[in-house]
Amino acid sequence: MPGFGITLGFTLAYLSLLVLIPLSALFVRTAAGGWHEFIDVAFSRRAVASYRLTFGASLVAASVNMVFGLIIAWVLVRYRFPGKRLASAIVDLPFALPTAVAGIALTSLYANTGWVGQYLEPLGIQVAYKPLGIVVALTFIGLPFVVRSVEPVLADLGTDVEEAASSLGASRWQTFRLVILPAILPALFTGFALALARAVGEYGSVIFIAGNMPFHTEISPLLIVTQLEQFDYAGATGIAVVMLIVSFILLAVINLIQLWSRKRLAG
Amino acid sequence: MSITLSGITKRFGDFTALDNVSLEARPGEFLALLGPSGSGKTTLLRIMAGLDFPDTGSVSFNGSDITDRPVADRAVGFVFQHYALFRHMTVAGNVGFGLSVKPRRERPTKEEIRRRVDDLLELVQLKHLGGRYPSQLSGGQRQRVALARALAVEPRILLLDEPFGALDAKVRKDLRRWLRELHERMGLTSIFVTHDQEEALELADRVVVMDHGKIEQVAVPVDVYDKPASAFVFDFVGESNRLPVTVGNGRIVFDNVAIEGAAPDIAEGAGQLFFRPHDARLTQEGAGVPATVSSARPRNGAVRIEAQVAGLELPLELDIPSDQAPSTGSAIFVQPTRAKLFPAGQTIASDQV
Repeated sequence: MPGFGITLGFTLAYLSLLVLIPLSALFVRTAAGGWHEFIDVAFSRRAVASYRLTFGASLVAASVNMVFGLIIAWVLVRYRFPGKRLASAIVDLPFALPTAVAGIALTSLYANTGWVGQYLEPLGIQVAYKPLGIVVALTFIGLPFVVRSVEPVLADLGTDVEEAASSLGASRWQTFRLVILPAILPALFTGFALALARAVGEYGSVIFIAGNMPFHTEISPLLIVTQLEQFDYAGATGIAVVMLIVSFILLAVINLIQLWSRKRLAG
Repeated sequence: MSITLSGITKRFGDFTALDNVSLEARPGEFLALLGPSGSGKTTLLRIMAGLDFPDTGSVSFNGSDITDRPVADRAVGFVFQHYALFRHMTVAGNVGFGLSVKPRRERPTKEEIRRRVDDLLELVQLKHLGGRYPSQLSGGQRQRVALARALAVEPRILLLDEPFGALDAKVRKDLRRWLRELHERMGLTSIFVTHDQEEALELADRVVVMDHGKIEQVAVPVDVYDKPASAFVFDFVGESNRLPVTVGNGRIVFDNVAIEGAAPDIAEGAGQLFFRPHDARLTQEGAGVPATVSSARPRNGAVRIEAQVAGLELPLELDIPSDQAPSTGSAIFVQPTRAKLFPAGQTIASDQV
């Protein structure tokens, strides 16, 4: 292939400059403090609680997005209705909106005096300043990833395979489960992985709605900022390293699942 | 199983895809729906399958009305134009799909399904390819997988949408013959859609010629070619020449020349006369349409003459035995020996291009 050398060289240099060098600096910085100190700060009870919250809420949010993002993508691909372009544009809003704005808007909606919150409060459901609020914020910012990943694949799938399945006697549910879902699964996982990655690193929208109580509603990115503000660089980088490793493992696992389902698809 | 369509009308928005169409397919018949694109042939096929539903009219199988039944309840085999194979399933998975989605009570055991799939793959001559994926097959092989998949549920009716459209000429010819044999061996009632007249004439028991959402003619292939029911059919099926003529006093006249070869069996006034390239006689002088030979080329054991006629846009195309062929540039007189007259108002296929 012509141009292989130069494009590969560029790719490696670019990735190194933008991603690898900053990340290695992180590891170097952490290593400087010594192993015991790292364990102490990165696995303090407060840090562990924040990991659990961050990754737990992110997984829940990405899962919710996987289901509802698929439905939205389905509607945008399969049906024609007035305002379809507008609906499609609205899906991208979470991309464009400054996350702090999203956080403030969601907080005022879901606070126990807010538009939505006041009706949930009597039902005993508290959203703002609770882990549930964090899930809501992370779902909001992750939605476009699933919709935009699944949409083109769904459009490419066409309706004739569905018609073929029903002409062979399959019910709607069998057609979805056996024909449509396997075909869009790789794209669905891509969307899930992107939404998850975004949610894990999210800061701006969460800190407004979370309440930021240590051990309860304090996410890891906020903890990092808190450590930095106290000039505890070792603590901040230690937590960052743990997040990085867990994120990497999560993404690797998703990639493996994806590879496996793609292989089945391509044959 | 017989199929009866009566008074089918189907509109898509402002477009009338089918306009009061009635048709009957007899049990065991091999029927071709032939027409240009937009003639409504595929819509008619989809309505038989239950993939589309008519606005008015009814569909019955063996006399019982199934107009409102969805495709899943009709027990028809449908082969899609682009095959619509399930890409993530192996060939065996595709073929066995119809059996494996049956309700638990009717579903054959896994071994039984495997055995039936093997039989079907043998039938379509793909026995060794059960483990492959559709992406690893050629066009002709995919077509046969699609057919085996449709046959797995043991339909009594097989519907095929442009079954050979995406295949190259050689594969197409082999597959045609094979499909015809299969149809006879399995005792199916088969209906296929095509825009290729050669395919329709070669394969079908009867040909349904369609245009603009209406049926123009239903006849055996020989009659579609020799006794076209309308100007459209004459023009669409086979090659033809058209002369604008006037009819009066029991005579057909083109530009002061009396035309033989056809009975003046339409109302007096303007008409259009059609004849095939092989149904004309050339003379050096006298009774015929004066023309000038603009090209003479060998074709199918004869010579294909193109003759320019003053006042006609298109040259006449004539097949003349090679020993009688005039040379390019010579003046000739053309007299149709067998022709058919239609009223001037009827539109023809070439007008729509």
